[in-house]
Amino acid sequence: MNDFNIILFLCSWGPHPAYQTLQDRAADIPSEIKMVRIPCAGRISKALLFKPFEMGADGVALVGCPAGSCRYGAGTTNANANEEDTRGILHLLGLGSQRLRLANFMPEDADGLLSFLRDFASEIIRMGKTPVSPPAKDKALSDLAEAARKAIAQNNVYSCQDCGKCSSSCPLTLAGKPFSPRALAASIISGSLSEPTVQKDVWACLTCGLCSERCPSSVNFPQFIREIRSILKGTGSGSAEVHGGFLQSLMRTMASPGVQTRHWDWITHEVRTDPAAKTLFFGGCAPYFDIFFGRHLGVKTTRMITDSIKLLNFFDITPALLPDERCCGHDLLWSGDRENFLALARLNQEAFGSSGAEEIIVSCPECYRTLSVDYPAHGIDIPLKITLLHDLIEREVDKGAVAFTPHGGVVTFLDPCRMRYLPKGRELPRKLIARLKPSAFKEMKEGGASSDCCGNCAWIGCDAFSKALQVKRIAQAKASGADLLVTGCPKCQIHMKCAMEDPFLGPDLTMEVEDLTALIVRSIHWE
Amino acid sequence: MTQLIKETGRYEIILTGFGGQGIVLAGKILGQAAAIGDNRESTLVQSYGPEARGGACSAQVIISGKAIHYPPVRHPDILACMSQAGFDKYIEQLTAEGTLIIDQDLVQPHGFDREHFSIPSTRMAEELGRKMMANIIMLGFLIAVTNAVSPGSTRNAVSSSVPRGTAEKNIAAFNKGYDYGLAVLKGRQKKATGRAGAEK
Ligand code: SF4
Ligand code: SF4
Ligand code: SF4
Repeated sequence: MNDFNIILFLCSWGPHPAYQTLQDRAADIPSEIKMVRIPCAGRISKALLFKPFEMGADGVALVGCPAGSCRYGAGTTNANANEEDTRGILHLLGLGSQRLRLANFMPEDADGLLSFLRDFASEIIRMGKTPVSPPAKDKALSDLAEAARKAIAQNNVYSCQDCGKCSSSCPLTLAGKPFSPRALAASIISGSLSEPTVQKDVWACLTCGLCSERCPSSVNFPQFIREIRSILKGTGSGSAEVHGGFLQSLMRTMASPGVQTRHWDWITHEVRTDPAAKTLFFGGCAPYFDIFFGRHLGVKTTRMITDSIKLLNFFDITPALLPDERCCGHDLLWSGDRENFLALARLNQEAFGSSGAEEIIVSCPECYRTLSVDYPAHGIDIPLKITLLHDLIEREVDKGAVAFTPHGGVVTFLDPCRMRYLPKGRELPRKLIARLKPSAFKEMKEGGASSDCCGNCAWIGCDAFSKALQVKRIAQAKASGADLLVTGCPKCQIHMKCAMEDPFLGPDLTMEVEDLTALIVRSIHWE
Repeated sequence: MTQLIKETGRYEIILTGFGGQGIVLAGKILGQAAAIGDNRESTLVQSYGPEARGGACSAQVIISGKAIHYPPVRHPDILACMSQAGFDKYIEQLTAEGTLIIDQDLVQPHGFDREHFSIPSTRMAEELGRKMMANIIMLGFLIAVTNAVSPGSTRNAVSSSVPRGTAEKNIAAFNKGYDYGLAVLKGRQKKATGRAGAEK
């Protein structure tokens, strides 16, 4: 009996001839191994290395050429980096980093390759089956037109007056993209949803909601787009996932009930936690982001988590952490994967319920919105009080006896889209910043009420116009006279830092970016 | 952080300020909370005669587990000052271990070199939109830092003593002072253990 699946990515140049030798010899290659021939080990991105795990593979071997013998030069180095990062991700997910192995062989080393494959297969069998159950296949809807009609009706889209206010506030349109919310709405109403150009626009929208805020007919555009995306999902319409779909794969993997993450393993002893506490802290996906983007952007979004817990500790709150915390599902929901979003939401609901806690504190605005708005809207009620960390800080600081070492710099704020929609979502961060006593607070040209976003949502549809939008945003931040750009969401930070990597504009775009929690944690003290 | 209310603990308290600040009302609430809410004995002596209308005025409250035979306060354990004149007049009478509480914007504790408590009660009341509620904020603060009366009884006494329709606002003011008091105690405790900031 053999129900293990091990994927072998095998480079054509060095090791493939060795593999052929083994085949010619009818050598005893473990039958669990399914070989995929590839042009270069360095081209197997983290997304591709991870994909088999999402689909239920028990192990993945990446086999390339020894250093110095790569036909393309950098293959071995890239393969090393990708393997290391993906192993880090596998560890956080609780799948075990040993499930991925990298090796290099020259064409003549057939025996070496064989013993590597045998050794790896026996290690995987010893580790046991993967806890991941492959996600359900997207089901194509039988009646696309009827589903679209429903989405149109539910979100008030029929009442569009064609006034154009949405287009004149849409950050994508303003960045020069040939994109118009009302034209998109009109095409869907007129039944053109199956046209590729229409579908492309459906995946491009940032779901930032700026259009809806202006719309005199209360067309709920972001929610409409979300519906349409989940309708399109089953049709095979390219969902424009960025980074090879890695982030969606990651989240879908967490939707597997058997997965027991270990994504708190990195947490340091600088912070105090208590498994029996009545207050739970929900951290989100930052640890994965830091590994995935670490090499390129050098982001450190986990700092937002440690800083948040430090602030709770400062106020004598020692929170519990869910040992096998999962993603909240925000990005799956907004990229059209409702089924896996619901799977995640139910698993979270169960975990929250059995945690014994009474309150959940959330520092990421996306997680906050998802738990407090989108779960209940999908019939998933969380019986715990859900609190945004920023609210809690403001409430505690307002009690008094707490002071801040004056910040002294000139700062500006980038509103996260999922915070801006809250009733006090614009006011709250500004109030907190004022408490930090910067020498001045400058609003960006399109700040506050008309605030543009960071240029990406749910890891889909990032293109040249997103970049243009981000570049404009940073230019506005600099033009405001600020020397520090404060954000309130880990993703704003990632997308902004990404834009700063622009090889042509690079130095002109460099600006210090920091999360609000980092500023608070550094300066807060008891009077 | 706060000790339990001492069943037999005796507190002699002077609240002082100028006329119009609601000093006597605060004293009355304090005594009423102790007597009705906490089932203890209490007395109130108010002095505002010729000094009323902007002059110094005071409320002298005694709270005790036993019968009180002599209501005036000569050596308070707790002195809460909402005016400079009140401070100047009564500070000499405060016992050696007595607790001094001042409105930090109205009183300069000249010559007083022991640890004491201060709160911007008038400023806080202005921020809440009613300067008149500074007394209730002060009361909340006093109770948090001294624990002379239980906060629950005081909230009840506040609700039943203030003008009709203002109970909710006054409770909010009480809570404001009370929370500030707890925060100050917490801050002192943190500083004492060398953990004043969030980074260490
Ligand atoms: S939600 Fe944002 S990106 Fe999408 S159409 Fe509206 S304004 Fe444009
Ligand atoms: S703002 Fe609203 S009503 Fe106006 S064109 Fe856009 S969707 Fe239609
Ligand atoms: S801005 Fe950068 S990090 Fe963000 S989605 Fe686009 S490419 Fe990825």
